[in-house]
Amino acid sequence: MASARKRYVAGALALALPLALAACGGDSSGGGGGSDGDTLTVWHYENDDSAMGQAWAKAIEIFEDEHPDVTVNVENQTFEQIQKNAKIFLTGDDVPDVMEYNKGNATAGQLASQGLITPLTEEADSRGWADTLPDSIQTTAMYDEQGLMGSGDWYGVPNYGEFVGVYYNQDMLDAQGIAQPTTFDEFEAALATFKAAGITPLAEAGAEYPLGQLWYELVLHYGDRDLIDDYQLFADDVDFQNEAFTQATEKLDEWIKAGYIASDSAALTAEDMGVSFINGTYPIMVSGSWWFGRLVEEIPFTWTQALFPDNTMHPGSSGNLWVVPENAANKDLAYDFIDITLRPEVQEILGQKGGLPVAGDSSSITDEKTKEMTENFESILDEDGLAFYPDWPVPGYYDVIVSELQSLVNQSKSPSEVLDGLSTAYQDGKTDLLEG
Amino acid sequence: MTTVDRAAPPQEPRTRGSRRGRRSRDWVGYLPYLLPGLIAFTVVILIPFGMNIWYSLHKWKGGNAPLRWYGLGNYTDLLADEQFWTSFRNSIAMILAMVVVPTLIGLLLATTLFDVLGKRFGPRVASVLRATYYLPQILPVAVAGVLWNWILNSQTGAVNVILREIGVANPPNWLGSTDTALPTVMLVLIWIQIGYPVVIFMSALQRVDPELYEAAELDGAGWWHRFRAITIPQIKPETFVITLTCTVAALKVFGPIYVLTRGGPESSTLVPSYYSYLNFFDKSKVGYGAAIANVLTVLIILIAVVIMVLQARSARREEEGR
Repeated sequence: MASARKRYVAGALALALPLALAACGGDSSGGGGGSDGDTLTVWHYENDDSAMGQAWAKAIEIFEDEHPDVTVNVENQTFEQIQKNAKIFLTGDDVPDVMEYNKGNATAGQLASQGLITPLTEEADSRGWADTLPDSIQTTAMYDEQGLMGSGDWYGVPNYGEFVGVYYNQDMLDAQGIAQPTTFDEFEAALATFKAAGITPLAEAGAEYPLGQLWYELVLHYGDRDLIDDYQLFADDVDFQNEAFTQATEKLDEWIKAGYIASDSAALTAEDMGVSFINGTYPIMVSGSWWFGRLVEEIPFTWTQALFPDNTMHPGSSGNLWVVPENAANKDLAYDFIDITLRPEVQEILGQKGGLPVAGDSSSITDEKTKEMTENFESILDEDGLAFYPDWPVPGYYDVIVSELQSLVNQSKSPSEVLDGLSTAYQDGKTDLLEG
Repeated sequence: MTTVDRAAPPQEPRTRGSRRGRRSRDWVGYLPYLLPGLIAFTVVILIPFGMNIWYSLHKWKGGNAPLRWYGLGNYTDLLADEQFWTSFRNSIAMILAMVVVPTLIGLLLATTLFDVLGKRFGPRVASVLRATYYLPQILPVAVAGVLWNWILNSQTGAVNVILREIGVANPPNWLGSTDTALPTVMLVLIWIQIGYPVVIFMSALQRVDPELYEAAELDGAGWWHRFRAITIPQIKPETFVITLTCTVAALKVFGPIYVLTRGGPESSTLVPSYYSYLNFFDKSKVGYGAAIANVLTVLIILIAVVIMVLQARSARREEEGR
């Protein structure tokens, strides 16, 4: 273990030096739990006022009540900090006991296959986590030896969920006399009506995840569960020139050509997209439930949230995972903490604040909008409709999807060429993953 | 007589031997001063570089995952990797933006500030202007990048808002189009970089003996003649320093690309260091990322050596009065 750590740190340093990457080194100054069983060190990256932040605060409060002799050391990190540096700092001994981490093949799967996080199957069985969490939520909790999700040991525990839907500016819909679309045809008709009125209908962002998620919504519209299992879980080979991928990519191309998406959106960020929707520049935004809290706070007009019309599957998954580093000093305390985060009193806070609890009950939610969104999520879970995210199958695929879809926005590649580009990177990544 | 002959050892070898002994004693004397640097160099550069070469010969996900021997496979894979070649082609653009253009503009600005503005309005004005040009160098690159992202945003950025105000219906999509992204990044880099040669050249100009200019002026030489015959040769050492440091910076540029475009759109602004980073962190292809970093390191060393040889040759010529 120690020599592996030295190898990795030296390697990171070696890479960092010629590149002058000051951000490469993990800051381990404050991390690390004591090995005496008296301290629980928790790392997470949720804002204090977010649903998750408030729920974690409640979990810590309960933990402290039940473990009066244990000091809880909570350290707020940033998502990027943990995401980029985990592979380095988890090889050391100065690690947290429990840590929030992103889920999927390219993230938690990598840590699992690198032996950096602890298998939790025994705890999941003995503490009943396997019974508490819905099946489609469990997919992201389990990883095999190659780091592929969906089978193998439990390596993380999710507490909440997320999904991609459609946000509408109801005032703008009303101004054009458009009823909220309930079918795909109505959705396209709404886009056409807005465009005819001189309004670009879809808020989009080509430089980050939003455009990829819209593309994936279209793939899910034309595809079926088998295709998604092949694509996400490597159940079988995927032909990127198949009907669903082709129809989806051509439809997106058609929308771009028709002006439903701004032709200058290739370099816009998710933040740009969100702000332009909040400002009322665009009437429709296809994006995730993570925007919900902010939209409630900032939008001055009437707005609604719905599932992508006619889709039975939706981009989405469990939320981030609680993982226990392999070198954690107080693993038993970490398991206790994870167990507490699944309790009704913590899950209820997630529900009330729009955090989509995975072990909660929407009937107790008092706010109408929050209740509606939570019910939408529950209906997806009931139908086993979570289809994860398009960049999950192989590491580094996020940048590939961004780049290929930017080509579509800029009209520098045909849909078929875009699918070829996606296919090549997917096949290469899959080979790398399977070969280890 | 015989005794004396036998007793007298040959002079030459003894002298040589004692010189050698003195040299070796000198070396030992310097050791305490050399040792910290040697240790630091070994620990911080040599060993990690050796390890990086070792990793580049393997396939490795990192962490506690097993290392799998791959020989020169990562390097041969690089040869067929279109993105790798794109990233190095873009390095030429980076050299243009961080070395060639800033050095030329810096030289022009420095001589103007020194010769014209400094003389007409006093050295204080020239100093203030010099500091102004240097400001982007002080600004953290993350801050500069975020600011430029705002300014160049295709929809809400100041540049396009102004262009639309003056009647340009479809202003350029600065960082979002493959046609404009690289030139736009280059412009930002020029803006960041210009202050550095200005400051160095201005201090170099202060070093030049004013009598040379006075003599040339008396001989009737105009500004251009004085600039070509006195200024450029006199500040040659500083020009080499700027060329060397800026070329190295251009080859390993990372921060501005990370903040401005993340190598996009469509890899049009990809550079080797960012590509290495992508492989190392996002794709968990540690060996491949290490191979890219090694190629980059070797290239940087080669270019640095070439520049230093040219500099030494130029200095030698000067000493010889050629």
